[in-house]
Amino acid sequence: MHVVIATDGSKQSLAAAKHLRSLAAPEAISDVTVLAVVRPLAAVSFVDELSGPRRKDAGSPSSVASFRDAAKASIEVIADVFAGWGPKVHKKIRSGSPANEIIKAAEQLDAGLVVVASGGRGLSDRVMLGSTAQRVQQYAPCPVLVVRPAPSRKK
Amino acid sequence: MTDAPDLAHEKALERARELDDDENLQRSISGRLLFFYVLGDVLGSGIYVLIGAVAAAVGGAFWMAFLAGVTVATLTGLAYAELVTKHPQAAGAALYVSKAFRNPFLTFLVTICMLSATFAAAGSLATGFSSYFAQVWELPPPLLISVIFIAALAVVNFIGITESVIANMVMTFVEVAGLAVVVLIGIVYVSRGEADFSVLLEFDTDGSPIFAVVAGVALAFFAMTGFENAANVAEETIDPARNFPRALIGGMVGAGIIYVIVAMTAALTVPIDTLASSDAALLEVIKADIIPVPVGVMTTIFAIVAMVAITNTTLVALVTQSRILYGMAREDVVPGFFAKVHAARRSPWVALVFSALVVTTLLVVGHTLDAAGIGGSSGVVERLATVTVVFTLFIYALVIVAAFVLRRDERPPDSFRAPTPLLVIGVVGNLALLVYVVVDDPTSLFWCAGLLALGLVLYTVEKLVGRTGETTPPPGRAPTGSARDEEEEL
Repeated sequence: MHVVIATDGSKQSLAAAKHLRSLAAPEAISDVTVLAVVRPLAAVSFVDELSGPRRKDAGSPSSVASFRDAAKASIEVIADVFAGWGPKVHKKIRSGSPANEIIKAAEQLDAGLVVVASGGRGLSDRVMLGSTAQRVQQYAPCPVLVVRPAPSRKK
Repeated sequence: MTDAPDLAHEKALERARELDDDENLQRSISGRLLFFYVLGDVLGSGIYVLIGAVAAAVGGAFWMAFLAGVTVATLTGLAYAELVTKHPQAAGAALYVSKAFRNPFLTFLVTICMLSATFAAAGSLATGFSSYFAQVWELPPPLLISVIFIAALAVVNFIGITESVIANMVMTFVEVAGLAVVVLIGIVYVSRGEADFSVLLEFDTDGSPIFAVVAGVALAFFAMTGFENAANVAEETIDPARNFPRALIGGMVGAGIIYVIVAMTAALTVPIDTLASSDAALLEVIKADIIPVPVGVMTTIFAIVAMVAITNTTLVALVTQSRILYGMAREDVVPGFFAKVHAARRSPWVALVFSALVVTTLLVVGHTLDAAGIGGSSGVVERLATVTVVFTLFIYALVIVAAFVLRRDERPPDSFRAPTPLLVIGVVGNLALLVYVVVDDPTSLFWCAGLLALGLVLYTVEKLVGRTGETTPPPGRAPTGSARDEEEEL
């Protein structure tokens, strides 16, 4: 089975990846594809909150200018979760609308499972429907694992 | 699982493609999409908002001002095309200047200028929007409409509707359709033999015609600004070395041709005085009642088209603002909270809110000064457009120089190279216009200074407050304390 794990660079997507590793049997999974979607027309195309402090190359804005690099950095962090686990790990970046691209990737890869994190907690998540996770679970060609944030955390 | 041979074959192909993908990653902006992005972005800004002001400055020959403005801007576009094919990243002028001069202060200055230019542009566009809105519903005060407009677009950006490529295409088509109607009216008018072509060579000043044209060029130039935002999507462009120069220059030339024809049509069909005194000047062409469609209906439709056009361009300006602020915060040039991204929406909400507040402040100050009669004879639209033009002329000139400087680097094999003489003309053109605008309208410098001061304040705040976060050497650097905590928790 091929599993697609989508990351938007959020910590929640890292939690989702860890969740998959904790519950799935590596023998049942042949491939894991870590997928990031860059949104070209969005205010910020990709936000990497996973790879920690950036390497800073003296005053050059190139480190943030490249949203692809940000996406790559996040993919690396997620891929590390599955290092030595068993299944072969692939890395993929697509560009466009996240839900569409995740579904297209799942179709192309003939995925058996898609793992997505469901964004934030709180009011905005409840008021504004139509988030990526929701669209993916409605239209994906395979089962979808939506990892919700833990109910409450320490302040 | 069926193992039909074609399926197996397809899978093998897919596998090969995937390997390829891992290196050469999939992108989504094709040359055609980029063309429409540029066209939509450029068309919305000037012609609907400023055609009256340009006509007032020049007289019947004001199409020449558009022609000259388009030419200078397109020459600058050549430099952008060259630089983007070398550095296809989403940073634009700041990146090029940083690479060319390696001077942090200059980079900071250019970034603040870009930010200020988009603030002023959004203010001017929002005022233009309210003028067309008043044609449909006159009751609400224009300032209120402008402010609501900016706030609504900030929300739209936050939710992320702007990301729809299809919505972008539709808006661009509507814009082009609106201008096509104007051109059609012109064709009908000319074919009836009623046109008096001598209008096209009339100048409205006592002095030399050249000065009259230059006076208009400064404002006509605003009509072309926005093309540089194409750098926003440079990174996601398929085969940028080939597609970017074509789409950018194609879009600008296309917009330029439309501008000149529309300007000629307006001059032929409407008395210049009427154009000059109208807030929504292109509507006067419709009101001239040349084609057999009820004027009331046409006026409403056209006002809506104009609003769509202005909306499209303003949205891109707001996206650019929040991107610049986000990028600066990540670079520790402005306080880190500008890089705050909403957990679910992945939008830089602090940057969006701040941008909307700055634009609103510009609008309120502009209207207050206008009402008090201070700040010269020109209205808010022209004032803010002039401020935008001052900033962009400076940036454009610097970008062309950066293009020359960066030619010292080895040239990537398939990069675009702009013709050197044209770039030289571009620098001279930008600088000449800059000098003219500043001499002609020194009060615009106060506005520029105000916006630059804002940037300086943010920089100072970061240096004073941001210090505390930097006392610990890496890896203790994080945008915010809370983010760091959460990371350790995981």
